[in-house]
Amino acid sequence: MSTYYDEVQEIKARYPNWRSATLPALRLAQEHHGYLSPDALRECAEALGATPAFCEAVASFYDMLHLAPVGRHMVEVCTNVSCALVGAQQVLERFEEELGIRAGETSGDGEVTLRPIECLGGCGWATVVSVDHHYRTHVKPEDVPAIVQELRSGG
Amino acid sequence: MAADGRMIVMADADSRDLTKLAEYEAVGGYQALQKTRAMSPGAVIDEVIASELRGRGGAFFPTGRKWSFVPKPNQNPNPHYLVVNADESEPGSFKDNEIMSRVPHRFIEGCLIAAHAVESKSVFVYIRGEYTGPYEILRSALEELQTRSEIRGDVTIVLHRGAGAYICGEETALLESLEGKRGQPRTKPPFPAVQGLDASPTVVNNVETMATLPPIMQMGGTEYAKLGVPDSRGTRVVSLSGHVERPGNYEIENGTSMHELIYGLAGGIPGGRELKAVIPGGSSTVILKADEIDVGYDFNSLLTLNTAMGSAGVVALDDRCCMVQLGIRISEFYEHESCGKCTPCREGTRWMTQILRRLESGEALQSELDLLLDVCDRINGKCLCPLGETAAIAVASYVDKFRAEFIAHVDRAGCPFGDSSPLHDVLAPVAVHTHSASAAVPA
Amino acid sequence: MSATEIVRLTIDGTQVEVPKGTGLVEAALAAGIEIPVFCYEPRLGPPVGACRMCLCQVEPGPPKAQAACTLTAQDGMVVRTALTSPVAADAQNATLEFILVNHPLDCPVCDKGGECPLQDLTFRYGPGNTRMTFPKRTFEKPIPVSPLIALDRERCILCYRCTRFSEGVAEDGQLVAVNRGAGSMIATFGDEPYRAPFSGNVIELCPVGALTSTKYRFEARPWEIQDVPTVCGLCPVGCNVSATTREGKVKRILSRNHAELDNGWLCDKGRFAYSHLHAEDRLRDPLLRVRRRGFEEVSWERALDEAERLLREANGRIVTALSGSETVEHAYALGKLLRQGLDSHTAVFAEELSDALDAFRMPLSSIRDADVVAVLGDAPIVERAPIVDLWIREARRRGARVLYELDEEAVRGAKNAILVWCGPGGHGGATVAAHAQRLGASGAFYIPETANGRGVCDAWACAADMEPSNPDPVGLLVVSGDEAAANPGVRALAEKAERVLVISMFHGLAAGWADLVLPGTSYLERDGTYVNLEGRVQRLRRTVIPPAPDELAWISKLAERFGVEVSPYPSLVFEEVSAIAFGGIPYGEIGERAPLPPAAVANAPIDAPTGPPRSPGSGLRLVRYRPLFSGPAVERVPELEFQRPEPEAELSEQDGRALGIRNGDEITVRSNGTSVRLRARLSREMRPGVVRVADAHAGDLQPQVEVSK
Ligand SMILES: Cc1cc2nc3c(=O)[nH]c(=O)nc-3n(C[C@H](O)[C@H](O)[C@H](O)COP(=O)(O)O)c2cc1C
Ligand code: SF4
Ligand code: FES
Repeated sequence: MSTYYDEVQEIKARYPNWRSATLPALRLAQEHHGYLSPDALRECAEALGATPAFCEAVASFYDMLHLAPVGRHMVEVCTNVSCALVGAQQVLERFEEELGIRAGETSGDGEVTLRPIECLGGCGWATVVSVDHHYRTHVKPEDVPAIVQELRSGG
Repeated sequence: MAADGRMIVMADADSRDLTKLAEYEAVGGYQALQKTRAMSPGAVIDEVIASELRGRGGAFFPTGRKWSFVPKPNQNPNPHYLVVNADESEPGSFKDNEIMSRVPHRFIEGCLIAAHAVESKSVFVYIRGEYTGPYEILRSALEELQTRSEIRGDVTIVLHRGAGAYICGEETALLESLEGKRGQPRTKPPFPAVQGLDASPTVVNNVETMATLPPIMQMGGTEYAKLGVPDSRGTRVVSLSGHVERPGNYEIENGTSMHELIYGLAGGIPGGRELKAVIPGGSSTVILKADEIDVGYDFNSLLTLNTAMGSAGVVALDDRCCMVQLGIRISEFYEHESCGKCTPCREGTRWMTQILRRLESGEALQSELDLLLDVCDRINGKCLCPLGETAAIAVASYVDKFRAEFIAHVDRAGCPFGDSSPLHDVLAPVAVHTHSASAAVPA
Repeated sequence: MSATEIVRLTIDGTQVEVPKGTGLVEAALAAGIEIPVFCYEPRLGPPVGACRMCLCQVEPGPPKAQAACTLTAQDGMVVRTALTSPVAADAQNATLEFILVNHPLDCPVCDKGGECPLQDLTFRYGPGNTRMTFPKRTFEKPIPVSPLIALDRERCILCYRCTRFSEGVAEDGQLVAVNRGAGSMIATFGDEPYRAPFSGNVIELCPVGALTSTKYRFEARPWEIQDVPTVCGLCPVGCNVSATTREGKVKRILSRNHAELDNGWLCDKGRFAYSHLHAEDRLRDPLLRVRRRGFEEVSWERALDEAERLLREANGRIVTALSGSETVEHAYALGKLLRQGLDSHTAVFAEELSDALDAFRMPLSSIRDADVVAVLGDAPIVERAPIVDLWIREARRRGARVLYELDEEAVRGAKNAILVWCGPGGHGGATVAAHAQRLGASGAFYIPETANGRGVCDAWACAADMEPSNPDPVGLLVVSGDEAAANPGVRALAEKAERVLVISMFHGLAAGWADLVLPGTSYLERDGTYVNLEGRVQRLRRTVIPPAPDELAWISKLAERFGVEVSPYPSLVFEEVSAIAFGGIPYGEIGERAPLPPAAVANAPIDAPTGPPRSPGSGLRLVRYRPLFSGPAVERVPELEFQRPEPEAELSEQDGRALGIRNGDEITVRSNGTSVRLRARLSREMRPGVVRVADAHAGDLQPQVEVSK
C-alpha cells in the first residue's frame, strides 16, 4: 500500500489549511512518478481532497513541476543577465553538443533533460548550472563534458 | 564574502562555521533572543523602530512600522503568522542564498525575535524551490534546535519550498502560493498585516531583514541607527555580479559609493574593458550609465537618479554589451514570469519582447521605437502588482539612457554589436518551454 | 445595531451619497456614471482587480490610476473616470489595446456579437485601430469543454470569471486556469468534461464569446430574438429565467437574476433541458386505444367525447394522480371539473406539504446571512433544489457553521440559525418547522420533490371542500402529467384501475397502458402560476405556442359538458384560487420578480410528527435519491447524458475512516443477499451513518446495508 496518501495527510497537518499542502504534495508525487502524469495528479487530488483540475492548475503555474515526461536527470543552465554576461550561452550550447539535443529537449535515452532557466540566485558565481537541483558554480564550457560523463555513468 | 570591515549580518562567518549551533553560540548566538524574550512585544517593536531598519526584500518599508500595523491578539483573535520571504529570484540578487547558507542560526534567531514581536507561534519560511543547498542547511540547523526547547520556545518553524516562479517573491503572491494556489498577487488593501495567510494577521519579511534583527537587539536600536546614512541605516549585503573582477556578496555600510563597490570591493572591470552601465538593484531597477556611479549606495542618493537599491543586486556591464539585447533578455524574463492575472503585464511584456526582437533584427522602423516606449508607458501605472511595471520601467530606462544605440539599430538595419556582445542570442526559457504540455504559444 | 452610515463622494464632479462600504462601481452607477468592467462581478466574491478595465483616478490616493472595482466609497473621495480624467481615459484605452492585441476580432462569426461587453466597451473606450503587427497568439479552437459548452481560447480575455465561479461559487473545482503569463488558458482536467451541476453559468458570465453554449452556437443573432421572462419549472426553487425564442422556438434559457431567490445562477437542468419541447416522441395529437390495433391519433373533438365518456362511465369512482408540476390554475381547473362536476375528490399527490412552515418563511437569500445552517434529512440538496446548495455554500464561505446533524445547542446558541430539511421523513416540512419553533431558529425550509407541489395541493384543496372517498375498485385513473406517469406507484395503481386517462407530453411515457392520452404541455408553454419552496407565488409565461392546446383550454371545454364553469384564462382562474388561498393578490400584481409573502404567525405549538423509529442495526442506512439529471425532460436531452450520476456511493468522511475506505476506492454495498460495486466518494458534507446512492445505481438494495472494500 502506498504511503503517499498518509504522507500527504501528515503534511496537511502542518498548515492552518489543508490546501497549503498542495505544493509539497505535488512535489512528492513528482518524485514518485518522475513527472506529474494525469494519474499522478489524480492521486495527488485524492490525497488532498481536491480535484485533479485544481492540481493541474497549480502545477502548471510552476517551472519545477512537470506535466510532461522529463529525463531522469535535469540540467538547467541559468541564462539570465549575470550568467549570460560571462558566457552562459556557450555553456548551454556545449551541453547541447555533448548531449546531442537542443535546449528544451530530453536525450533520446530518456536520461537527461536540458533547459535554460531564469536566474538561479547565484549570479556572483556565474555560470550557475543546476544539476538535479544541486548547483554547480563557475561552470565553463570546458567543464561540461565531465558533468555529462558523470550523469551518464553515475546514474 | 569579503567586507569593508562592517560585518553585522555576516559577522564571524569568515572565521567560523556558523552553520553549527555550537559555533554560533560561541560567538554569542541566541543571546539576543533571550534578551528579546525578556521584553514585551511592544518594547521590541519600539527597539526595531529606533534602529530605523527597513526591509531588505526590495520595497524598503520600515520594519518596525510594518509590525506595528499588525492587530494585537485582543483585536484579532485569529492566529498571527510570520512568513519569511526566502524566494530570492530577482536577477542579480543572491544575498539571501548566502545568508541562509552561512549564518542560518542568525537567520533563525531573527525569525524567533520577530515572532515574539508580532506574537506569532507559527513561522513559515517560503524558500524558493531551486535552493536545495540553503534548504538542507536550514533543515539541519532546525534539527539541531529540536532538542533545545529553551531556544525554540513554543514557536514552530515550517520550511515551505516553492516550485519555480519569480512572482512568488511578491508578498501577496507568496501568500497565495503558500496557501497552495497559483502564485498570483492579491489586490491591496487588505494588507497582509491585517489579512494575510489564511486571512489572518501576517507579517512578511525578507531573509536579510530577519538576519539583521539579532545584532540590532544585541547592540540596541539607536546604536544600529548610527551606521549608514539618513533613511538608510545600518549595513546591507550587496550582490555584485556581471563584469567585475571579484563578483560576490559584500556587506557594506549603507551610503558607500557605488564607485567604491565596483572598483574597490569588486576590483573593477575585467579584461581592461570600460564600464558601460550598471543595474543598481536587481533587474527591476532603472539602469545607470557608467558616468552616474559616483553616488552613494543608499535610498535617497539613488532616488535622485530615479532608481533604487531594490534587492541590492548590482550588475556591471562592460562596453561590449548591446542594450537592445539586454532589453530583450530582461523583457523575456518578465514575460516568462508574468503571472497572467492582469492584462497589461500579461499582454504588454510579450508585446515588448516582440518589438525589441524586431529592433534587434534591424527590421524595425523608427516609429516602432516610439511604439515600444508607448507600450512601456501603457503598462506602467496600470498593473495589479509591480512586476509588469518594473519590466516597463527598466526597459524604458535602457532606451532613455542609450537612445542613440537603439536608433543605430534602426538606421543600420541591424545590431552594431552583433555577436561580439555577450548578450547576443542568449536562449531564454520563454523561448523553449511552456508551462504545460498542451499550451501553444508561439514566441 | 447602528443605522447605515452614509458617505458623500464626488464622481466626475457629481456628488453622490451612498451607504459606507458601497463599491465604487456601484457608487458611480448611483451617479449615473459607468465605470466599465470585465472581471468585476460581485457575485463571484471579493474583487480581483485583474482586467484593469475600471482604472480611474481616485483621491486621496496615489497619482496613478486605481482599479475602481477594488475600492469602496469613502467620505470625501474624489473619483474621476475616463469622462473627466485624461489619465483614466488613457488607462482604459491602454487596457483595451492590450486585450485586443491577441484577440481574433472574429465578431462576424461570434455568437456573442451584438451582445458582447468587449464589443461595447471597445466601441466606447477603445483604440480605433491596431498597432499590433505580430502574429497573434493562436490556440486550437473551439474545443469542447463539455457536450454543453465550447471554449474558444483565442477570444478569452482571461478575466477569470468562469474559473472564479467554478472555484468560489459552485466550488466544483472543475474549470481552472492553467499555465501562467501569456500562456495562461482556461481548461478542464485533461480531456475530461466540465461535469458539474452549475457548469452553464460560465457561459453567461463570460464577457466575450470564449465560452458559448453548444446548443445555441450559430442558432440566432441578437437582433432576431425575443426574450420572454418566466420561471423555471423543473425544481421547487423556481429560478427566474428568460427564454430566448426565435421563430417560435426556444433557443436558450438565461438567468433573470432574482436576488432573493437565485442570485442569477441556474443549474444545467434548468438551462439546457428546454429541448425536451422538441423531443422525438412529443405528443401532438390525442391518442385513443383501439382494440388490437393499439393506438390511433384522434381529433380533439373526438378525444373530448371519449374523455367525457370515460368520466361518466366511471360513475364517480375516479382517482386523480397529480404530478406537482401542474400550474396552480391547471390543478384547480382539474379539481373543479372532477370534484364539483363529478364528485370525485380522491387525489394522489406527489407529496403533501405542511403549512406549518409558513411561520418560518424567509427568502432563500437569508441562508447566506445565517451563522448556523443545519442540513437535515438525508437526501442531497443539490439533487433536489440545486440553488439552495449554492446559498449554503455561500453561507459557509461567509463563516457560517454548516451542520449535518441537529446540534440543538448550536442552533439555540446561534443568532441566526436556519434549518433545511431535504429527504424522506420530514412530514411535508412539519418536522423541521417544529424543530425551528422549539429551538428558536429564524428560518426553516423544506425541500419538496416537485416544482409546484405546494401550489397543486392548495389549488386542489380550493376546488371543493369534501372528503375523499377512496373508491375500490378504481373506475378511472386520471394521470395528470409526466412525473405522475413515470411514477411506479401510479403505474401500480393503473394496473388495478378499470380505465386510465393520461395527460402526458411524451409517447414513450403514456402509450401502452392508457385508454386515452391527451397531449400535455411544458412549463415553457404555459401561462399561470407556481408556488415555490419558499411559498412565493410566481408567474409562468408562455414563451412559445405548444403543439397542442394547453390543459386549461381543453379542461374548460370539458368542464362545460358537466355544467362546471372553468375559465380558459389563467388570470381569471388564478383570481378564484387567490381569493381562497393567496390572500386575494391579483394576478397582475405578481410582477416579474415576485415578492415573498410575509411569514405567518405561529400561534400554537407545532406538532412534531415522529416518523417510524429507525431500526438499530450494525450497518449504514441507504438513502436512494433521484438525481438532478433525471426525469422525463432530462432524459430527452442527449447533451445532458454525460451529467447523469456516476456509479458512486457517498459516505461521510468519518464512516470512510472507520471502514478504512478512501476516496475513489471500489467498494461493495450489500444487503440481504444482493450487492453492488460502486466507487466511494467521501464527503465532508454528510452525516455519519448514511450511504447515498442514486436510484439508478442502487439496484435492489434494502434500506439497511453493509459497506466494505
Ligand atoms: C515582483 C516582485 C518580486 C519580489 N521578490 C522578492 C523576493 O524574492 N524576496 C523578498 O524578500 N522580497 C521580494 N519582493 C518584495 C516583497 O513583496 C516584500 O516587500 C518583502 O518580502 C517584504 O519584506 P521586507 O519588508 O523585509 O523587505 C518582491 C516584490 C515584487 C513586486
Ligand atoms: S473564458 Fe471568458 S470568462 Fe473565462 S477567463 Fe476567458 S474571458 Fe473570462
Ligand atoms: S473590473 Fe476592475 S480590474 Fe477588472
